[in-house]
Amino acid sequence: MYRIILEHILQNRAAIAGLLLLVAVILIAVLGSFYLPGDPWEMANAPMLWPGDDPDSPLGTDIMGRDIATGMVSGAKVSLLVGFASAFISALVGITFGALGGFYRGWVDAFLMRITELFQTVPQFVLAVVLVAVFKPSVVTAVFAIGIVSWPPTARLVRSAFLVLREREFVLAARTLGMSDPRLILTQLLPNALPPVIVISALNIATAILTEASLSFLGLGDPNVMSWGTIIGNGREQVVDAWYICGIPGIAILVVVLAFNLLGEGLNDALNPQLHKR
Amino acid sequence: MSELLSVHKLATCFHSRRGIIRAVDEVSFSIAAGETLALVGESGSGKSVTAASILRLISAPGRIEGGEILFQGQDLLKLGTAAIRQIRGNRIAMIFQEPLSAFNPVQSIGTQIVEAIRLHRKVSRKQAFEQAVTLLERMGIPSPAQRVHEFPHRLSGGMRQRAMIAMALSCEPDLLIADEPTTALDVTTQAQILELLKELQAANGMGMLLITHDLGMVAETAHRAAVMYAGRVVEEGSIDRLFTAARHPYTAGLLASVNIEALAPGTKLPEIPGSAPSLLNPVQGCAFAERCNARHALCDKQTPPLATDTEPESFPGSRHRVACFLPARPDAIPLPVESEAA
Repeated sequence: MYRIILEHILQNRAAIAGLLLLVAVILIAVLGSFYLPGDPWEMANAPMLWPGDDPDSPLGTDIMGRDIATGMVSGAKVSLLVGFASAFISALVGITFGALGGFYRGWVDAFLMRITELFQTVPQFVLAVVLVAVFKPSVVTAVFAIGIVSWPPTARLVRSAFLVLREREFVLAARTLGMSDPRLILTQLLPNALPPVIVISALNIATAILTEASLSFLGLGDPNVMSWGTIIGNGREQVVDAWYICGIPGIAILVVVLAFNLLGEGLNDALNPQLHKR
Repeated sequence: MSELLSVHKLATCFHSRRGIIRAVDEVSFSIAAGETLALVGESGSGKSVTAASILRLISAPGRIEGGEILFQGQDLLKLGTAAIRQIRGNRIAMIFQEPLSAFNPVQSIGTQIVEAIRLHRKVSRKQAFEQAVTLLERMGIPSPAQRVHEFPHRLSGGMRQRAMIAMALSCEPDLLIADEPTTALDVTTQAQILELLKELQAANGMGMLLITHDLGMVAETAHRAAVMYAGRVVEEGSIDRLFTAARHPYTAGLLASVNIEALAPGTKLPEIPGSAPSLLNPVQGCAFAERCNARHALCDKQTPPLATDTEPESFPGSRHRVACFLPARPDAIPLPVESEAA
């Protein structure tokens, strides 16, 4: 089963491109700190050095003389961490709400879906800003805020899958074997509902990275951690004289978001049985 | 003979927006260990609902509203959810019509059989897996050590049904409910599966409730049969007697419709005129009266009770029950054959 999916992913050019870009970013995040061990907040060189001006600062420095390359490595770590962690929270909450609602239906479903709708009607980004502002900006609050605002689509998706799956005969057959409800949900329904959740989670990672960059740009990032959004935010006043300060992290965000989108699309093609037949 | 399962006046209703549907009404029958009872009837006569009621698998808007289901002396309708789960799959198992849809498509059959074993037996995953392979081998699946890793869609229909029987029998149940176990299979495979079920029953003495509308299969496998019509049992008795001396006009009509060898070539096949009544608006009196050619005034007023039948005397000792005010004389079954001229 999983081997077949892997084969499908490896046949998909978009998915491979996404996967390669992702591996590159992960390598930069992991290996970068060995080459650039400095503190991204320390003044490392003369301010406003353009990329290539000084071999010690290959990507230049900002107005405070902070090394942009060091900042980029730190930002890669933050982006990946926030992306994966908040997408995980979003999947966890979304699956729980969707699975319970779709499986039990009735008032459980009505109650959980009203909560879901509550979160859907509030503008996501505004809610994230409020949450981060209320609970002191940090990487952890950013992760939770982004996770909390992004779970409703997952919940809806899982619920609709469960509503269909619960009527399938193999669920009844598992019941005749004496399976309990939690076991039924975890071993019978969830594995069948998971493929679309994997796809939406890959796209959630991309959205989460964008949201984190936006929060940092607005100054709601972790004050102790240099993230891509922070670099853009700091450089926005010199965007005319020194566009590279905003440009370099901007391109990095573009590349990572693109990578996850391509990967999500590839996973969708690989996991969607209707598309196999074409 | 001690009864394994005894269903008494079972009533299961579905509360739909258009009214109450009495899908199963005052159904009574019993099964002894090692015995096969066939539940026969057309679609919608309440066979499958009866089976689901025994395992307490009726979900809203359906509800079991009355009667008792005694299994080894214990009323299943009075058990809590945890207790009934201990019965399901462990003491009473069920096999389904379409084995492909009864298996989880994303797990190998081995994984699913292991799961079934470990639900009720405290054995390690490895031991359960070995048991699964042995079970598949007993079911006559060739090279079980490889097949156990296959996904359901990779097996043939007959193989899948064998795998499902293996899963159902993994905890050596005392009662097996087979809901049209061969309908989805071709004729040769059907015969093999029936043979397998008979062998397994002979080996471990389990009781079997066979749900079917195939009278040939009933004659082949069952010891006794209960004929259902519109949610009620209309006749129940041993196969010998039911097939040779049916007393209820509906049973007689059913048998006549399959006994086509006795007919002269060119004659129209016998059929029971009309169609089964809607369960939504139950008619007063006998549900079959509308289609019966022995109908009289009482049939429209009262529902005939399922009463022990004393005639004919040629079958001493076999308990036979029939729900009819005017049971047919076995030597004069009024076959509802239409003449060509009509």
